[in-house]
Amino acid sequence: MRTWAYLLGGLVVWTVHFFGLYIFGSVFPQTTLARILSGLLTLAALAADAILLWRAGTASMAQAGREELGRWTDYLAALSAAISLIAVFWQGLPVLIA
Amino acid sequence: MRPAISPRTSTRSPLADVLSGWPPPVFDPAGPAAGSIATLGWVLLAMAAVVTAVVLFFVYVALWGRPGTREKLGGTKIIWLAGIAFPVVVLTFLLIYGLTLTRSLTAPITGNEMRVRVVGEMWWWRVAYLDPQGRAVILDANELHIPVGRPVVLELSSNDVIHSFWVPRLSGKLDMIPGRRNLMRIQADRPGVYGGQCAEYCGGPHALMGFAVIAHTPENFARWRTQRLGLKAAAVSSDQAAVSSGEANRGRQLFRSAGCAACHRIGGTDANGLAGPDLTHVASRRTLGAGILPNNRGTLIGWIGNSQAIKPGNRMPPYSVLSGDELTALAVYLETLK
Amino acid sequence: MTSETGFDTRLYDNFPTREERPQGELEELERIWRAPTGWGRLTIVNNNYVGLWYVAAAFLFFLLAGVLALAMRVQLALPLNGILPQETYNQFFTMHGTVMMFLFAVPAVEALGVMLLPQMLAARDLPFPRLSAYAFWAYLVGGLCFFASLFFGLAPNGGWFMYPPLTSMAYSPGINADFWLLGIGFIEISAIAGAIEIIVGVLRTRAPGMSLDKMPIFAWAMLVFACMIVIAFPAVILGTLLLEFERAFNWSFFDPTRGGDPLLWQHLFWFFGHPEVYIIFLPAAALVSTMVAGLAKTPLVGHNLIVLAFLATGFISFGVWSHHMFATGMPRLSVGFFSAASTAVSVPAGIQVFSWIATFAAGTPRYNTPTLFVIGGLVTFVIGGLTGVMVAMVPFDWQAHDTHFIVAHLHYVLIGGMVFPLFAAFYFWIGMTSRRALSERLGKWSFWLMFAGMQITFLPMHLTGLMGMLRRVYTYLPGRSWEVTNMISTVGAFILAAGVVVFLIDLARNFRFTVEDDAGNVYGGGTLEWLPTGLYSTRSIPVIRSRYPLWDDPELCKIVEEGRYLLPNSATGRRETIVTSPLRAEPEYLQIMPGPSVWPLLAAVFTAGFFVILTIQAYTPALISGVLAVLAVIRWLWETDRPVAAQHADVGGGIMLPTYVTGPRTHGWWAMVILLIVIAMILLMSVFSYLYLYGIHPSFWRSPPDNLWLLPILSGYALAAGLPLLARGLLKREKTTLWTPPVLMFVAAVALVVAVALEFRSWRSIGLDPQLSGQAAMIYAFLSLQGTMTAISMLMTGYLMARNARGLIVRPHNNTFDLTTMFVVYSAAQGGFIAALTHLFPGAV
Repeated sequence: MRTWAYLLGGLVVWTVHFFGLYIFGSVFPQTTLARILSGLLTLAALAADAILLWRAGTASMAQAGREELGRWTDYLAALSAAISLIAVFWQGLPVLIA
Repeated sequence: MRPAISPRTSTRSPLADVLSGWPPPVFDPAGPAAGSIATLGWVLLAMAAVVTAVVLFFVYVALWGRPGTREKLGGTKIIWLAGIAFPVVVLTFLLIYGLTLTRSLTAPITGNEMRVRVVGEMWWWRVAYLDPQGRAVILDANELHIPVGRPVVLELSSNDVIHSFWVPRLSGKLDMIPGRRNLMRIQADRPGVYGGQCAEYCGGPHALMGFAVIAHTPENFARWRTQRLGLKAAAVSSDQAAVSSGEANRGRQLFRSAGCAACHRIGGTDANGLAGPDLTHVASRRTLGAGILPNNRGTLIGWIGNSQAIKPGNRMPPYSVLSGDELTALAVYLETLK
Repeated sequence: MTSETGFDTRLYDNFPTREERPQGELEELERIWRAPTGWGRLTIVNNNYVGLWYVAAAFLFFLLAGVLALAMRVQLALPLNGILPQETYNQFFTMHGTVMMFLFAVPAVEALGVMLLPQMLAARDLPFPRLSAYAFWAYLVGGLCFFASLFFGLAPNGGWFMYPPLTSMAYSPGINADFWLLGIGFIEISAIAGAIEIIVGVLRTRAPGMSLDKMPIFAWAMLVFACMIVIAFPAVILGTLLLEFERAFNWSFFDPTRGGDPLLWQHLFWFFGHPEVYIIFLPAAALVSTMVAGLAKTPLVGHNLIVLAFLATGFISFGVWSHHMFATGMPRLSVGFFSAASTAVSVPAGIQVFSWIATFAAGTPRYNTPTLFVIGGLVTFVIGGLTGVMVAMVPFDWQAHDTHFIVAHLHYVLIGGMVFPLFAAFYFWIGMTSRRALSERLGKWSFWLMFAGMQITFLPMHLTGLMGMLRRVYTYLPGRSWEVTNMISTVGAFILAAGVVVFLIDLARNFRFTVEDDAGNVYGGGTLEWLPTGLYSTRSIPVIRSRYPLWDDPELCKIVEEGRYLLPNSATGRRETIVTSPLRAEPEYLQIMPGPSVWPLLAAVFTAGFFVILTIQAYTPALISGVLAVLAVIRWLWETDRPVAAQHADVGGGIMLPTYVTGPRTHGWWAMVILLIVIAMILLMSVFSYLYLYGIHPSFWRSPPDNLWLLPILSGYALAAGLPLLARGLLKREKTTLWTPPVLMFVAAVALVVAVALEFRSWRSIGLDPQLSGQAAMIYAFLSLQGTMTAISMLMTGYLMARNARGLIVRPHNNTFDLTTMFVVYSAAQGGFIAALTHLFPGAV
């Protein structure tokens, strides 16, 4: 389970962020409160992704003496954090301009 | 079932036919909303064309390129550059563009605009012009009259199933949903007639549920409005005028005796039915059957006699019990309702 | 080396084994796996057969729905054409969409999974062969009956999206809509069954050593595919149930005058409906990835990026459902979120496209039919993807939505992303199952006709849409300049159809089914499905050390055939496969597999019968059919979960594996967990619906009954949750009398019955009427769900007692007992949650 959580960490962050935004937008429609909450959640999610990316990225760079599956897991975890970072950033744009 | 209206044989060449459809309505805007969307559309089309060309080029190189070039293409670098970095940059710009435009198109309604309530019905449109207090002052169907250069707010809703309001040359579409009221702002920049059609599948003859927006110059619109607002007097007089013609008079009596009034309203008379379109000014409409037939005596007769052959499934029963003379009389009467 | 299960991976070095295998092993394998002949064929459960039947059935539905499309194109060729009357056209376009999505696309990729996965993973078969057979038969029988509704004019006519109120009783009084709702019912069951099979198969029956990083790309896609089905299908299952409840019992879910909301349906439908597109696309894209590597004879460039693309798509596609609802007037901020997610989901697609291009560039592609289909699909899919980006921009979507522009877009995506890859796959993999390969000459004709036809049909359709022509219109008026493009599209459709006909001719001339002497690896793929196989799959199961074992070890085929890898024989004299660990694929135990049986077939026929007969409102025969289906399932299960005499078996190379294990490591446990996730998702969707209706129409809501009711209800559920755990503990103890644990389980089920009855009483006590408010309707829906779970719990515990009476519940641990425990405990927890939610929120309003 831990391996999966690590592997999919970035995407899980995206999921939490997306549905959080959806809930804020639905429970407090057309309000500034929704915007503020969404903005804060976006910052938190971006931070989480950045940490994940940094940790998994550095781990996958450190090659010496690592076995294949472990390195592969680090690499995939870094990729999923990276794509999540982009998606969360886009997801946060409506908070600023919509 | 054979359609009663046969396909019109065009005398133009096919090329002329296509060219006459150019530019397509979505890219031939007549209002600010449609205008800004058309610009977005061109940008998006250009993007799509360029990217398609680039991908085709890469495919060509991958298959038939010189060995050295192919080798350069055959690694993960191309995925990172063309498959990730490039789309991310382009999409970021497009997303910002799209969101900004969405924001300006859905700017809050101020409340000072002229308001019209449009209700989707299976398979026609109920139209009511509202005064500032929100009361319906002019009733109509299947046509919407607006002044140019001024935003008009439409209150969209439905009495039965989901419909969708769409006039491509003026604005995007917005659904008409039972139990909800959606607000839409439209504006025309030039006088003209702009066609529209129901955009959400609503069963049966959904394909034949059209309407028109008629944009007038401010002066003409004011004239039109004044004429309609004096509706009682006007309708009575037009109804009275009918008496002078014997045939129209007979049609007027038939309208009552054949039960038309159960579904149709004619202002100023005791015809008060609300199930079907308001006929107070039916003669001034451009079309019959919700945007599908030209409006003249012949089509009126055909429609009343057997609208089911023209628009199968619509809610108006065929009146085959009426003789040709009787149908003509009815049509003559309806033609007096300007 | 690190290990996941404590397995000593140094044992892998014993392979390939040196000594020769004894005579007669291969013959025994053949005898054990031999398929019945004659009418007995119907009882076959082996994936070689079922997979192929499954593919064939899906293709049949593709042809049928294609014929409907041709008829529609003829109708639209001219304005006011009279070929198809309005009602017929409306039924045709509804059926075209429904059949293509539900009866062709999803089953086709699922079928390819059933057919290819065991081979690619070098398993003897997927872990639940009978479940595959059941899923196939339910789908085939039900699908044919559903399609036949067209011939009686009873086919659904509300569009494949079935929006209420158009599909509610008031506007669709006929049984046409019920055909859709119940017809989709068995397809949902069949898809879920397939998903469970595939998840457990991919994670637990991989060849030893095939750790996640070495897993074939197709297995990755099928894993994500199946997980997406588990998450997405519950939404449409709930949606169809609610709409059928509304139609049958007049419960108010979607009627705004009684506290319902038509948009609730749209949310539920599209929460399923958009991921559905990716559910179809991902496996097909993975077929392309596999083929591109094979055709270019070089490893897939960017393998890891593609795995990421699958995973990312699997997540992000659940954030795009509302982009089908941009025109419904949603709040601007929410619209923005969905627009952003719709943009994000295109990034993984870009990764895949450029990975395929790079692989072609890196390798040595040849001019042959599968390559043509792959490249044609790629180009087509790219165009569809780009128009997809266009409509992800909200303002443009407001114009394009529901026009022929969208028709063009979705056909570009689905034909480019799924249909062309599927045809490529037919050519690429036909050698696995046919004595002769398909003809290259006919194949190229087929491709060029299909490709040209596709472009001619759908490229002008973009323009037709921008010129204002809407979707789902049975005709249009002359004089709008739509005539020319429509005529071109119609001509194109027939060219496309001609390409399909050429393919059929090719099939008729060259396809000769076989399991043994197949045409083999025509295009030189490097993955395990090209190992020499019989019905038992491969002779021995190789240890996997790379992603393309056949390329990296040219001797592999020979060594595998000589039986010098794992399980070169039948270790227990039964059908069996090695179950491995999910991350590193270390051998864990030997699964004894069930053989041919008539019961899955009968269960499927009666399941389909139940739904079809229910539709025509013959309630008694429907009920009988339903009961027979349940009995058939019980009979089928009765033979399973029986330990064999030998507790351990030698699978070669000094590896001894247990033949009966229990607990969280077993494939049965995994399947039950997935099933419970499906049910929990239905619950979650119900909770969403409940909160949603409260948010829309709070004025219809009333106060719950006195909270004192919660005391007995929750106690009942607590009892129902506690007793099974207690019973499971007792089972372990030697001293336990034979009957106590199963009886305790049964008492737990009875506690469930009492609790749900009390809950029902509590709401009746305040006169709650499901016809009058959305709140009441949702509470009745919750109770129906809970009632169903309770009824199944009663059945399961009764079954447990029956097995115990026959001494089939072995101590100290038993899988049947474990699974029943899980189900009953979950049911109790769910009941408690529902009671607490409905009584406490929104509370006294």
